[in-house]
Amino acid sequence: MENRTALQRLISTPEFAPLVLLIAEIFVFWAINPAFLSVLNIGNTLAFTVELGLIALAMTMLMTSGEFDLSVGSVFGFAPVVMWTLFNTGITSLELSFLIAMGIAALIGLVSGLFVTQLKIPSFLVTLGMLLVVRGTALFITNGFPQRTWSSEGQWLAEILVGDFYIGSLRIYASLFWFIGAALLLHYVLTKTRAGNWIQASGGNPDAARARGVKVRATKIWLFILCSSMAAFAGVISSIRTAAANPNSGTGYELEVIAMVVIGGTVLTGGRGTIIGTVLGVLILRVMRNGIVLIGVPGLAYNIFIGAIILGMMSLHSWLERRHNAGVR
Amino acid sequence: MAGELIRMDHIHKYYGRIHALDDVTFTVGEREIVGLLGDNGAGKSTLIKTLSGAVPISSGDIYVRGRKVVIGSTTDAIAHGIETIYQDSALVTQLSIARNLFLGREPVKGPWFFNRLDDEAMNAVASDLLRRVGITKSIPPTTPIGALSGGERQAVAIARAMHFESDLIILDEPTNNLGVAEVQGVLNFVRSARDSGHSCIFIAHNIHHVFQVVDRIVVMRRGKVVADDVDPKKSSVERVERIITGMDEVA
Repeated sequence: MENRTALQRLISTPEFAPLVLLIAEIFVFWAINPAFLSVLNIGNTLAFTVELGLIALAMTMLMTSGEFDLSVGSVFGFAPVVMWTLFNTGITSLELSFLIAMGIAALIGLVSGLFVTQLKIPSFLVTLGMLLVVRGTALFITNGFPQRTWSSEGQWLAEILVGDFYIGSLRIYASLFWFIGAALLLHYVLTKTRAGNWIQASGGNPDAARARGVKVRATKIWLFILCSSMAAFAGVISSIRTAAANPNSGTGYELEVIAMVVIGGTVLTGGRGTIIGTVLGVLILRVMRNGIVLIGVPGLAYNIFIGAIILGMMSLHSWLERRHNAGVR
Repeated sequence: MAGELIRMDHIHKYYGRIHALDDVTFTVGEREIVGLLGDNGAGKSTLIKTLSGAVPISSGDIYVRGRKVVIGSTTDAIAHGIETIYQDSALVTQLSIARNLFLGREPVKGPWFFNRLDDEAMNAVASDLLRRVGITKSIPPTTPIGALSGGERQAVAIARAMHFESDLIILDEPTNNLGVAEVQGVLNFVRSARDSGHSCIFIAHNIHHVFQVVDRIVVMRRGKVVADDVDPKKSSVERVERIITGMDEVA
Protein backbone atom coordinates (compact mmCIF):
# COMPACT_ATOMS: atom_id res chain seq x y z
CA MET A 1 0.00 0.00 0.00
CA GLU A 2 3.06 2.27 0.25
CA ASN A 3 3.34 2.60 -3.49
CA ARG A 4 -0.12 4.08 -3.93
CA THR A 5 -0.17 7.45 -5.57
CA ALA A 6 -1.52 10.55 -3.91
CA LEU A 7 -4.50 10.38 -6.25
CA GLN A 8 -5.33 6.82 -5.21
CA ARG A 9 -5.11 7.80 -1.56
CA LEU A 10 -7.45 10.71 -2.18
CA ILE A 11 -9.95 8.47 -3.92
CA SER A 12 -9.90 5.94 -1.11
CA THR A 13 -10.76 8.50 1.57
CA PRO A 14 -14.39 8.35 2.68
CA GLU A 15 -14.81 12.03 1.88
CA PHE A 16 -14.02 11.64 -1.79
CA ALA A 17 -17.36 10.32 -3.03
CA PRO A 18 -19.44 13.02 -1.29
CA LEU A 19 -17.10 15.67 -2.64
CA VAL A 20 -17.60 14.45 -6.19
CA LEU A 21 -21.35 14.28 -5.68
CA LEU A 22 -21.48 17.83 -4.35
CA ILE A 23 -19.47 19.22 -7.25
CA ALA A 24 -21.60 17.33 -9.76
CA GLU A 25 -24.78 18.54 -8.10
CA ILE A 26 -23.70 22.17 -8.13
CA PHE A 27 -22.61 21.89 -11.74
CA VAL A 28 -25.88 20.32 -12.93
CA PHE A 29 -28.06 22.86 -11.14
CA TRP A 30 -25.97 25.73 -12.39
CA ALA A 31 -26.03 24.42 -15.97
CA ILE A 32 -29.82 24.16 -15.92
CA ASN A 33 -30.48 27.40 -14.07
CA PRO A 34 -27.59 29.87 -13.69
CA ALA A 35 -29.59 31.70 -11.01
CA PHE A 36 -28.59 28.83 -8.76
CA LEU A 37 -25.19 30.43 -8.25
CA SER A 38 -26.61 33.91 -7.79
CA VAL A 39 -25.50 35.79 -4.71
CA LEU A 40 -29.05 35.95 -3.35
CA ASN A 41 -29.55 32.21 -3.65
CA ILE A 42 -26.21 31.33 -2.08
CA GLY A 43 -26.99 33.62 0.85
CA ASN A 44 -30.41 32.06 1.37
CA THR A 45 -29.11 28.51 1.14
CA LEU A 46 -26.29 29.13 3.59
CA ALA A 47 -28.56 30.66 6.23
CA PHE A 48 -30.61 27.56 6.82
CA THR A 49 -27.81 25.13 6.00
CA VAL A 50 -25.74 26.02 9.03
CA GLU A 51 -28.63 25.49 11.44
CA LEU A 52 -29.06 21.84 10.47
CA GLY A 53 -25.32 21.68 9.98
CA LEU A 54 -24.56 22.52 13.60
CA ILE A 55 -26.66 19.55 14.71
CA ALA A 56 -25.07 17.31 12.10
CA LEU A 57 -21.57 18.14 13.40
CA ALA A 58 -22.48 17.07 16.93
CA MET A 59 -24.34 14.03 15.62
CA THR A 60 -21.17 12.98 13.78
CA MET A 61 -19.29 12.83 17.06
CA LEU A 62 -22.10 10.89 18.75
CA MET A 63 -22.47 8.44 15.86
CA THR A 64 -18.73 7.83 15.78
CA SER A 65 -19.05 6.65 19.37
CA GLY A 66 -21.69 4.18 18.24
CA GLU A 67 -24.88 5.94 19.35
CA PHE A 68 -27.32 8.37 17.80
CA ASP A 69 -29.95 10.81 19.00
CA LEU A 70 -33.45 11.00 17.53
CA SER A 71 -34.55 13.75 19.90
CA VAL A 72 -32.52 16.55 18.28
CA GLY A 73 -35.45 17.78 16.18
CA SER A 74 -37.63 18.07 19.26
CA VAL A 75 -34.91 19.86 21.23
CA PHE A 76 -34.46 22.19 18.24
CA GLY A 77 -38.10 23.21 18.65
CA PHE A 78 -38.24 23.01 22.44
CA ALA A 79 -35.23 25.11 23.51
CA PRO A 80 -36.30 28.36 21.78
CA VAL A 81 -39.82 27.89 23.12
CA VAL A 82 -38.41 27.73 26.65
CA MET A 83 -36.16 30.70 26.06
CA TRP A 84 -38.80 32.97 24.56
CA THR A 85 -41.50 31.95 26.99
CA LEU A 86 -39.23 32.88 29.89
CA PHE A 87 -38.26 36.16 28.27
CA ASN A 88 -41.67 37.22 26.97
CA THR A 89 -43.39 36.61 30.30
CA GLY A 90 -40.79 38.88 31.86
CA ILE A 91 -39.40 36.24 34.20
CA THR A 92 -35.75 36.94 33.38
CA SER A 93 -33.46 38.65 30.90
CA LEU A 94 -32.83 37.22 27.46
CA GLU A 95 -29.29 36.17 28.40
CA LEU A 96 -30.46 34.20 31.39
CA SER A 97 -33.34 32.68 29.42
CA PHE A 98 -30.81 31.53 26.85
CA LEU A 99 -28.62 29.94 29.50
CA ILE A 100 -31.59 28.20 31.11
CA ALA A 101 -32.75 26.82 27.75
CA MET A 102 -29.22 25.55 27.01
CA GLY A 103 -29.01 24.04 30.48
CA ILE A 104 -32.27 22.16 30.07
CA ALA A 105 -31.08 20.88 26.68
CA ALA A 106 -27.85 19.66 28.27
CA LEU A 107 -29.94 17.94 30.93
CA ILE A 108 -31.99 16.19 28.24
CA GLY A 109 -28.75 14.91 26.72
CA LEU A 110 -27.51 13.80 30.11
CA VAL A 111 -30.69 11.82 30.79
CA SER A 112 -30.56 10.14 27.36
CA GLY A 113 -26.90 9.32 27.94
CA LEU A 114 -27.57 7.82 31.35
CA PHE A 115 -30.43 5.67 30.02
CA VAL A 116 -28.24 4.38 27.19
CA THR A 117 -25.08 3.73 29.18
CA GLN A 118 -26.36 2.76 32.61
CA LEU A 119 -29.54 0.86 31.73
CA LYS A 120 -28.07 -0.41 28.46
CA ILE A 121 -31.17 0.46 26.45
CA PRO A 122 -30.41 1.01 22.75
CA SER A 123 -30.15 4.68 21.85
CA PHE A 124 -32.87 4.21 19.23
CA LEU A 125 -35.47 3.48 21.92
CA VAL A 126 -34.19 5.96 24.51
CA THR A 127 -34.07 8.90 22.15
CA LEU A 128 -37.36 7.93 20.49
CA GLY A 129 -38.95 8.22 23.91
CA MET A 130 -37.12 11.48 24.53
CA LEU A 131 -38.28 12.82 21.15
CA LEU A 132 -41.92 12.40 22.21
CA VAL A 133 -41.43 13.70 25.75
CA VAL A 134 -39.64 16.84 24.59
CA ARG A 135 -42.00 17.58 21.69
CA GLY A 136 -44.98 16.96 23.92
CA THR A 137 -43.63 19.35 26.54
CA ALA A 138 -43.04 22.06 23.94
CA LEU A 139 -46.61 21.74 22.67
CA PHE A 140 -48.02 21.62 26.18
CA ILE A 141 -46.35 24.75 27.53
CA THR A 142 -47.27 26.79 24.45
CA ASN A 143 -50.72 25.30 23.83
CA GLY A 144 -49.34 24.72 20.35
CA PHE A 145 -48.93 28.42 19.54
CA PRO A 146 -45.66 29.99 18.35
CA GLN A 147 -43.89 32.31 20.76
CA ARG A 148 -43.21 35.80 19.46
CA THR A 149 -39.54 36.72 19.17
CA TRP A 150 -39.63 40.16 17.56
CA SER A 151 -38.33 41.75 20.74
CA SER A 152 -34.94 40.25 19.90
CA GLU A 153 -34.28 43.46 17.97
CA GLY A 154 -31.24 45.21 19.38
CA GLN A 155 -30.31 42.45 21.82
CA TRP A 156 -26.55 41.83 21.75
CA LEU A 157 -27.11 38.08 22.15
CA ALA A 158 -29.25 37.97 19.02
CA GLU A 159 -26.59 39.97 17.14
CA ILE A 160 -23.82 37.60 18.17
CA LEU A 161 -25.82 34.52 17.23
CA VAL A 162 -27.44 35.54 13.96
CA GLY A 163 -26.67 39.17 13.27
CA ASP A 164 -26.45 39.69 9.51
CA PHE A 165 -24.25 41.83 7.35
CA TYR A 166 -23.48 42.17 3.67
CA ILE A 167 -20.35 41.39 1.73
CA GLY A 168 -21.17 43.17 -1.51
CA SER A 169 -24.70 41.96 -2.02
CA LEU A 170 -24.11 38.61 -0.26
CA ARG A 171 -26.06 38.52 2.98
CA ILE A 172 -24.14 36.62 5.65
CA TYR A 173 -25.47 35.61 9.06
CA ALA A 174 -23.17 35.36 12.06
CA SER A 175 -24.39 31.78 12.46
CA LEU A 176 -22.18 30.85 9.51
CA PHE A 177 -19.13 31.61 11.63
CA TRP A 178 -20.48 29.53 14.50
CA PHE A 179 -20.81 26.65 12.07
CA ILE A 180 -17.31 27.07 10.64
CA GLY A 181 -15.87 27.41 14.13
CA ALA A 182 -17.69 24.33 15.38
CA ALA A 183 -16.60 22.32 12.34
CA LEU A 184 -12.93 23.25 12.80
CA LEU A 185 -13.02 22.59 16.54
CA LEU A 186 -14.80 19.23 16.30
CA HIS A 187 -12.60 18.09 13.42
CA TYR A 188 -9.58 18.85 15.57
CA VAL A 189 -11.04 17.06 18.58
CA LEU A 190 -12.03 13.98 16.60
CA THR A 191 -8.76 13.50 14.73
CA LYS A 192 -6.04 14.96 16.93
CA THR A 193 -6.94 14.60 20.56
CA ARG A 194 -7.19 11.86 23.15
CA ALA A 195 -10.93 12.53 23.40
CA GLY A 196 -11.22 11.83 19.68
CA ASN A 197 -9.31 8.59 20.04
CA TRP A 198 -11.64 7.54 22.83
CA ILE A 199 -14.72 8.44 20.80
CA GLN A 200 -13.57 6.28 17.91
CA ALA A 201 -12.55 3.42 20.18
CA SER A 202 -15.87 3.56 22.06
CA GLY A 203 -17.70 3.08 18.79
CA GLY A 204 -15.27 0.64 17.22
CA ASN A 205 -14.82 -1.88 20.01
CA PRO A 206 -16.28 -0.78 23.34
CA ASP A 207 -15.13 -3.88 25.23
CA ALA A 208 -11.55 -3.54 24.12
CA ALA A 209 -11.62 0.18 24.85
CA ARG A 210 -12.97 -0.38 28.35
CA ALA A 211 -10.33 -3.02 29.02
CA ARG A 212 -7.64 -0.46 28.16
CA GLY A 213 -9.02 2.05 30.62
CA VAL A 214 -11.06 4.18 28.23
CA LYS A 215 -14.07 5.71 29.99
CA VAL A 216 -16.57 4.56 27.39
CA ARG A 217 -19.71 5.51 29.32
CA ALA A 218 -18.53 8.99 30.25
CA THR A 219 -17.44 9.58 26.65
CA LYS A 220 -20.87 8.68 25.32
CA ILE A 221 -22.73 10.68 27.97
CA TRP A 222 -20.71 13.81 27.12
CA LEU A 223 -21.51 13.33 23.45
CA PHE A 224 -25.25 13.04 24.15
CA ILE A 225 -24.97 16.31 26.07
CA LEU A 226 -23.05 17.91 23.21
CA CYS A 227 -25.60 16.74 20.65
CA SER A 228 -28.59 17.97 22.61
CA SER A 229 -26.95 21.31 23.42
CA MET A 230 -26.03 21.85 19.79
CA ALA A 231 -29.61 21.13 18.72
CA ALA A 232 -30.84 23.71 21.23
CA PHE A 233 -28.24 26.23 20.05
CA ALA A 234 -29.31 25.71 16.43
CA GLY A 235 -32.97 26.02 17.42
CA VAL A 236 -32.36 29.33 19.16
CA ILE A 237 -30.46 30.67 16.15
CA SER A 238 -33.26 29.57 13.85
CA SER A 239 -35.94 31.17 16.04
CA ILE A 240 -34.19 34.52 16.01
CA ARG A 241 -33.55 34.41 12.26
CA THR A 242 -37.13 33.49 11.36
CA ALA A 243 -38.61 35.60 14.19
CA ALA A 244 -40.71 32.68 15.43
CA ALA A 245 -40.32 30.05 18.12
CA ASN A 246 -42.71 27.40 16.90
CA PRO A 247 -43.17 24.37 19.17
CA ASN A 248 -43.51 22.24 16.05
CA SER A 249 -40.33 23.37 14.35
CA GLY A 250 -37.61 20.81 13.83
CA THR A 251 -40.04 17.97 13.17
CA GLY A 252 -38.26 15.35 11.07
CA TYR A 253 -34.87 17.05 11.39
CA GLU A 254 -33.40 14.08 13.25
CA LEU A 255 -33.62 11.87 10.18
CA GLU A 256 -32.38 14.55 7.81
CA VAL A 257 -29.40 15.17 10.09
CA ILE A 258 -28.57 11.46 10.34
CA ALA A 259 -28.86 11.25 6.55
CA MET A 260 -26.36 14.13 6.20
CA VAL A 261 -23.93 12.38 8.51
CA VAL A 262 -24.04 8.97 6.82
CA ILE A 263 -23.88 10.47 3.32
CA GLY A 264 -20.68 12.15 4.43
CA GLY A 265 -19.13 8.79 5.23
CA THR A 266 -19.63 8.35 8.98
CA VAL A 267 -20.60 4.80 9.86
CA LEU A 268 -23.99 4.29 11.53
CA THR A 269 -22.61 1.52 13.73
CA GLY A 270 -19.77 3.66 15.03
CA GLY A 271 -15.99 3.55 15.02
CA ARG A 272 -15.39 5.81 12.09
CA GLY A 273 -16.54 9.37 11.59
CA THR A 274 -15.55 12.36 9.53
CA ILE A 275 -16.41 15.99 10.16
CA ILE A 276 -15.25 16.99 6.68
CA GLY A 277 -17.60 14.36 5.23
CA THR A 278 -20.46 15.69 7.32
CA VAL A 279 -19.89 19.24 6.08
CA LEU A 280 -20.09 17.84 2.54
CA GLY A 281 -23.17 15.77 3.43
CA VAL A 282 -24.89 18.83 4.86
CA LEU A 283 -24.18 20.80 1.70
CA ILE A 284 -25.26 17.95 -0.56
CA LEU A 285 -28.72 17.75 0.98
CA ARG A 286 -29.26 21.49 1.31
CA VAL A 287 -28.07 22.20 -2.23
CA MET A 288 -30.35 19.43 -3.44
CA ARG A 289 -33.37 20.88 -1.65
CA ASN A 290 -32.66 24.33 -3.01
CA GLY A 291 -31.58 23.23 -6.49
CA ILE A 292 -34.48 21.03 -7.45
CA VAL A 293 -36.88 23.84 -6.75
CA LEU A 294 -34.83 26.23 -8.89
CA ILE A 295 -34.71 23.87 -11.84
CA GLY A 296 -38.47 23.41 -11.70
CA VAL A 297 -38.87 20.02 -10.02
CA PRO A 298 -41.84 20.20 -7.62
CA GLY A 299 -40.56 20.66 -4.08
CA LEU A 300 -42.70 17.78 -2.91
CA ALA A 301 -40.46 15.43 -4.91
CA TYR A 302 -37.50 16.41 -2.72
CA ASN A 303 -37.61 13.25 -0.59
CA ILE A 304 -37.34 11.02 -3.64
CA PHE A 305 -33.97 12.56 -4.44
CA ILE A 306 -32.76 12.45 -0.86
CA GLY A 307 -33.71 8.79 -0.55
CA ALA A 308 -31.98 7.97 -3.81
CA ILE A 309 -28.84 9.80 -2.70
CA ILE A 310 -28.74 7.90 0.60
CA LEU A 311 -29.16 4.53 -1.12
CA GLY A 312 -26.61 5.41 -3.78
CA MET A 313 -24.00 6.69 -1.33
CA MET A 314 -24.43 3.74 1.00
CA SER A 315 -23.89 1.32 -1.89
CA LEU A 316 -20.82 3.25 -2.92
CA HIS A 317 -19.36 3.36 0.60
CA SER A 318 -19.94 -0.35 1.06
CA TRP A 319 -18.34 -1.15 -2.30
CA LEU A 320 -15.31 1.04 -1.57
CA GLU A 321 -15.00 -0.54 1.86
CA ARG A 322 -14.90 -4.07 0.46
CA ARG A 323 -12.48 -3.09 -2.27
CA HIS A 324 -10.29 -1.30 0.24
CA ASN A 325 -10.14 -4.27 2.61
CA ALA A 326 -9.46 -6.70 -0.21
CA GLY A 327 -6.69 -4.52 -1.62
CA VAL A 328 -4.43 -4.18 1.38
CA ARG A 329 -4.26 -7.77 2.58
CA MET B 1 13.96 -19.16 35.42
CA ALA B 2 14.38 -16.98 38.46
CA GLY B 3 11.69 -17.03 41.11
CA GLU B 4 7.96 -17.14 41.01
CA LEU B 5 5.94 -14.44 39.27
CA ILE B 6 2.38 -15.64 39.80
CA ARG B 7 1.06 -18.08 42.33
CA MET B 8 -2.59 -19.13 42.41
CA ASP B 9 -3.15 -21.06 45.62
CA HIS B 10 -6.02 -23.51 46.25
CA ILE B 11 -8.39 -21.74 43.90
CA HIS B 12 -12.03 -22.80 43.83
CA LYS B 13 -14.64 -21.48 41.44
CA TYR B 14 -18.30 -22.41 41.41
CA TYR B 15 -20.77 -21.48 38.72
CA GLY B 16 -23.95 -22.20 40.66
CA ARG B 17 -23.54 -25.89 41.47
CA ILE B 18 -20.88 -26.52 38.88
CA HIS B 19 -17.43 -26.83 40.44
CA ALA B 20 -15.41 -25.30 37.61
CA LEU B 21 -12.10 -25.00 39.47
CA ASP B 22 -11.43 -27.58 42.16
CA ASP B 23 -8.52 -26.71 44.44
CA VAL B 24 -6.28 -25.51 41.65
CA THR B 25 -2.74 -24.47 42.48
CA PHE B 26 -0.92 -22.94 39.54
CA THR B 27 2.32 -21.02 39.24
CA VAL B 28 4.21 -19.15 36.56
CA GLY B 29 7.89 -18.37 36.96
CA GLU B 30 9.73 -15.27 35.85
CA ARG B 31 10.61 -15.46 32.17
CA GLU B 32 8.73 -18.68 31.80
CA ILE B 33 6.32 -19.75 29.08
CA VAL B 34 3.74 -22.09 30.53
CA GLY B 35 1.53 -24.12 28.22
CA LEU B 36 -1.94 -24.67 29.66
CA LEU B 37 -3.67 -27.66 28.13
CA GLY B 38 -6.93 -29.48 28.66
CA ASP B 39 -9.98 -30.66 26.83
CA ASN B 40 -13.08 -28.51 26.41
CA GLY B 41 -14.60 -27.88 29.82
CA ALA B 42 -11.41 -28.83 31.67
CA GLY B 43 -11.36 -25.42 33.36
CA LYS B 44 -8.46 -23.74 31.61
CA SER B 45 -10.57 -20.87 30.30
CA THR B 46 -12.10 -20.36 33.72
CA LEU B 47 -8.66 -20.32 35.32
CA ILE B 48 -7.48 -17.70 32.86
CA LYS B 49 -10.61 -15.63 33.31
CA THR B 50 -10.08 -15.49 37.07
CA LEU B 51 -6.49 -14.44 36.58
CA SER B 52 -7.39 -11.75 34.03
CA GLY B 53 -10.20 -10.36 36.17
CA ALA B 54 -13.09 -11.39 33.93
CA VAL B 55 -14.68 -13.60 36.61
CA PRO B 56 -14.11 -13.55 40.39
CA ILE B 57 -12.76 -16.58 42.26
CA SER B 58 -14.95 -18.27 44.86
CA SER B 59 -12.09 -18.95 47.23
CA GLY B 60 -8.30 -19.16 47.25
CA ASP B 61 -5.43 -16.69 47.03
CA ILE B 62 -3.52 -15.07 44.20
CA TYR B 63 0.03 -13.79 44.69
CA VAL B 64 2.09 -11.62 42.36
CA ARG B 65 5.80 -11.81 43.22
CA GLY B 66 4.86 -13.14 46.65
CA ARG B 67 2.47 -10.31 47.39
CA LYS B 68 -1.17 -11.21 47.85
CA VAL B 69 -3.45 -9.38 45.41
CA VAL B 70 -7.17 -9.12 44.77
CA ILE B 71 -8.17 -9.20 41.13
CA GLY B 72 -11.72 -7.94 40.76
CA SER B 73 -11.66 -6.53 37.23
CA THR B 74 -9.61 -6.50 34.07
CA THR B 75 -8.32 -3.09 35.12
CA ASP B 76 -7.01 -4.63 38.37
CA ALA B 77 -5.30 -7.38 36.43
CA ILE B 78 -3.63 -4.92 34.06
CA ALA B 79 -2.53 -2.82 37.05
CA HIS B 80 -0.84 -5.95 38.47
CA GLY B 81 0.94 -6.50 35.17
CA ILE B 82 -1.31 -9.25 33.84
CA GLU B 83 -2.41 -8.78 30.26
CA THR B 84 -4.75 -11.16 28.45
CA ILE B 85 -4.83 -11.32 24.69
CA TYR B 86 -7.96 -12.81 23.22
CA GLN B 87 -8.07 -13.34 19.54
CA ASP B 88 -9.32 -10.21 17.79
CA SER B 89 -11.24 -8.85 20.74
CA ALA B 90 -8.55 -6.64 22.20
CA LEU B 91 -8.08 -4.22 19.32
CA VAL B 92 -10.17 -1.50 17.69
CA THR B 93 -10.12 -2.40 14.01
CA GLN B 94 -10.88 1.14 12.82
CA LEU B 95 -7.92 2.71 14.58
CA SER B 96 -4.31 2.59 13.49
CA ILE B 97 -1.68 0.29 14.98
CA ALA B 98 -0.10 3.17 16.88
CA ARG B 99 -3.42 4.44 18.23
CA ASN B 100 -4.30 0.93 19.40
CA LEU B 101 -0.97 0.46 21.12
CA PHE B 102 -1.53 3.58 23.20
CA LEU B 103 -5.31 3.37 23.61
CA GLY B 104 -6.22 4.58 27.09
CA ARG B 105 -2.66 5.77 27.77
CA GLU B 106 -2.14 8.20 24.94
CA PRO B 107 0.81 10.57 25.18
CA VAL B 108 -0.34 14.15 24.71
CA LYS B 109 1.51 17.37 24.14
CA GLY B 110 0.68 21.03 24.17
CA PRO B 111 -0.91 23.16 26.86
CA TRP B 112 -3.80 21.81 28.89
CA PHE B 113 -6.74 22.96 26.80
CA PHE B 114 -5.20 22.46 23.39
CA ASN B 115 -3.55 19.18 24.26
CA ARG B 116 -3.33 16.85 21.35
CA LEU B 117 -2.07 13.34 20.73
CA ASP B 118 1.64 13.07 20.19
CA ASP B 119 1.30 11.14 16.93
CA GLU B 120 4.99 11.34 16.04
CA ALA B 121 6.02 9.77 19.33
CA MET B 122 3.34 7.09 19.09
CA ASN B 123 4.31 6.19 15.53
CA ALA B 124 8.00 6.06 16.38
CA VAL B 125 7.47 3.75 19.35
CA ALA B 126 5.04 1.63 17.33
CA SER B 127 7.52 1.11 14.50
CA ASP B 128 10.19 0.16 16.96
CA LEU B 129 7.90 -2.28 18.77
CA LEU B 130 6.77 -3.96 15.58
CA ARG B 131 10.41 -4.61 14.74
CA ARG B 132 11.16 -5.90 18.24
CA VAL B 133 8.24 -8.27 18.21
CA GLY B 134 9.59 -9.67 14.99
CA ILE B 135 7.38 -8.36 12.20
CA THR B 136 9.76 -8.39 9.29
CA LYS B 137 7.44 -6.96 6.69
CA SER B 138 7.45 -3.17 6.76
CA ILE B 139 4.01 -2.11 7.96
CA PRO B 140 3.51 1.61 8.60
CA PRO B 141 2.27 2.23 12.17
CA THR B 142 -0.57 4.31 10.75
CA THR B 143 -2.15 1.23 9.13
CA PRO B 144 -5.61 0.48 10.55
CA ILE B 145 -5.89 -2.83 12.38
CA GLY B 146 -8.67 -3.84 9.98
CA ALA B 147 -6.09 -4.12 7.21
CA LEU B 148 -3.88 -6.59 9.12
CA SER B 149 -3.92 -10.38 9.05
CA GLY B 150 -4.83 -12.41 12.12
CA GLY B 151 -1.18 -13.11 12.97
CA GLU B 152 -0.22 -9.48 12.62
CA ARG B 153 -3.05 -8.50 14.97
CA GLN B 154 -1.71 -10.95 17.54
CA ALA B 155 1.68 -9.35 17.11
CA VAL B 156 0.27 -5.89 17.78
CA ALA B 157 -1.49 -7.14 20.92
CA ILE B 158 1.71 -8.82 22.13
CA ALA B 159 3.73 -5.71 21.34
CA ARG B 160 1.30 -3.63 23.38
CA ALA B 161 1.61 -5.95 26.36
CA MET B 162 5.41 -5.82 26.08
CA HIS B 163 5.56 -2.06 25.85
CA PHE B 164 3.40 -1.47 28.88
CA GLU B 165 5.61 -3.73 30.95
CA SER B 166 3.07 -6.42 31.53
CA ASP B 167 4.90 -9.09 33.50
CA LEU B 168 2.56 -11.85 32.42
CA ILE B 169 1.03 -12.11 28.97
CA ILE B 170 -1.82 -14.59 28.66
CA LEU B 171 -2.46 -15.81 25.14
CA ASP B 172 -5.81 -17.50 24.70
CA GLU B 173 -5.79 -19.64 21.56
CA PRO B 174 -3.45 -17.29 19.70
CA THR B 175 -2.89 -19.72 16.85
CA ASN B 176 -6.53 -20.48 16.03
CA ASN B 177 -7.54 -19.81 12.44
CA LEU B 178 -4.01 -18.90 11.41
CA GLY B 179 -2.07 -20.18 8.43
CA VAL B 180 1.11 -22.21 8.88
CA ALA B 181 3.51 -19.35 8.32
CA GLU B 182 1.49 -17.08 10.61
CA VAL B 183 1.55 -19.63 13.42
CA GLN B 184 5.35 -19.64 13.26
CA GLY B 185 5.23 -15.86 13.37
CA VAL B 186 3.11 -15.84 16.51
CA LEU B 187 5.35 -18.44 18.17
CA ASN B 188 8.30 -16.17 17.42
CA PHE B 189 6.49 -13.21 18.95
CA VAL B 190 5.97 -15.26 22.11
CA ARG B 191 9.66 -16.21 22.23
CA SER B 192 10.76 -12.63 21.77
CA ALA B 193 8.42 -11.58 24.57
CA ARG B 194 10.12 -14.07 26.89
CA ASP B 195 13.57 -13.01 25.74
CA SER B 196 12.78 -9.45 26.74
CA GLY B 197 11.81 -10.54 30.23
CA HIS B 198 8.10 -11.36 30.13
CA SER B 199 6.30 -14.50 31.24
CA CYS B 200 3.54 -16.07 29.19
CA ILE B 201 0.67 -18.48 29.59
CA PHE B 202 -0.01 -20.11 26.27
CA ILE B 203 -3.33 -21.83 25.69
CA ALA B 204 -3.96 -23.76 22.53
CA HIS B 205 -5.84 -26.79 21.33
CA ASN B 206 -3.01 -27.68 19.02
CA ILE B 207 -0.51 -29.49 21.24
CA HIS B 208 2.18 -29.31 18.58
CA HIS B 209 2.13 -25.52 18.72
CA VAL B 210 2.41 -25.64 22.50
CA PHE B 211 5.32 -28.07 22.39
CA GLN B 212 7.30 -25.82 20.09
CA VAL B 213 7.36 -22.83 22.34
CA VAL B 214 6.72 -23.54 26.04
CA ASP B 215 9.11 -24.29 28.90
CA ARG B 216 6.60 -26.24 30.97
CA ILE B 217 3.18 -27.78 30.41
CA VAL B 218 0.29 -27.79 32.87
CA VAL B 219 -2.64 -30.07 32.13
CA MET B 220 -6.14 -29.61 33.53
CA ARG B 221 -9.02 -32.05 33.53
CA ARG B 222 -12.48 -31.64 35.03
CA GLY B 223 -11.51 -28.55 37.00
CA LYS B 224 -8.33 -29.99 38.49
CA VAL B 225 -4.68 -29.72 37.63
CA VAL B 226 -3.65 -33.27 36.76
CA ALA B 227 -0.08 -32.55 35.73
CA ASP B 228 1.87 -29.38 36.37
CA ASP B 229 5.45 -30.06 35.47
CA VAL B 230 5.60 -31.72 32.10
CA ASP B 231 8.83 -30.84 30.32
CA PRO B 232 8.18 -30.68 26.58
CA LYS B 233 11.79 -31.62 25.92
CA LYS B 234 11.50 -34.85 27.86
CA SER B 235 7.94 -35.79 27.06
CA SER B 236 6.03 -36.70 23.95
CA VAL B 237 2.90 -35.24 22.40
CA GLU B 238 1.25 -38.65 22.67
CA ARG B 239 1.86 -38.84 26.39
CA VAL B 240 0.42 -35.38 27.00
CA GLU B 241 -2.60 -36.34 24.92
CA ARG B 242 -3.14 -39.33 27.18
CA ILE B 243 -2.94 -37.11 30.27
CA ILE B 244 -5.47 -34.71 28.76
CA THR B 245 -7.97 -37.45 28.03
CA GLY B 246 -7.36 -39.16 31.36
CA MET B 247 -5.97 -42.42 29.97
CA ASP B 248 -2.70 -41.88 31.74
CA GLU B 249 -2.80 -40.55 35.29
CA VAL B 250 0.30 -38.88 36.65
CA ALA B 251 1.00 -38.02 40.21
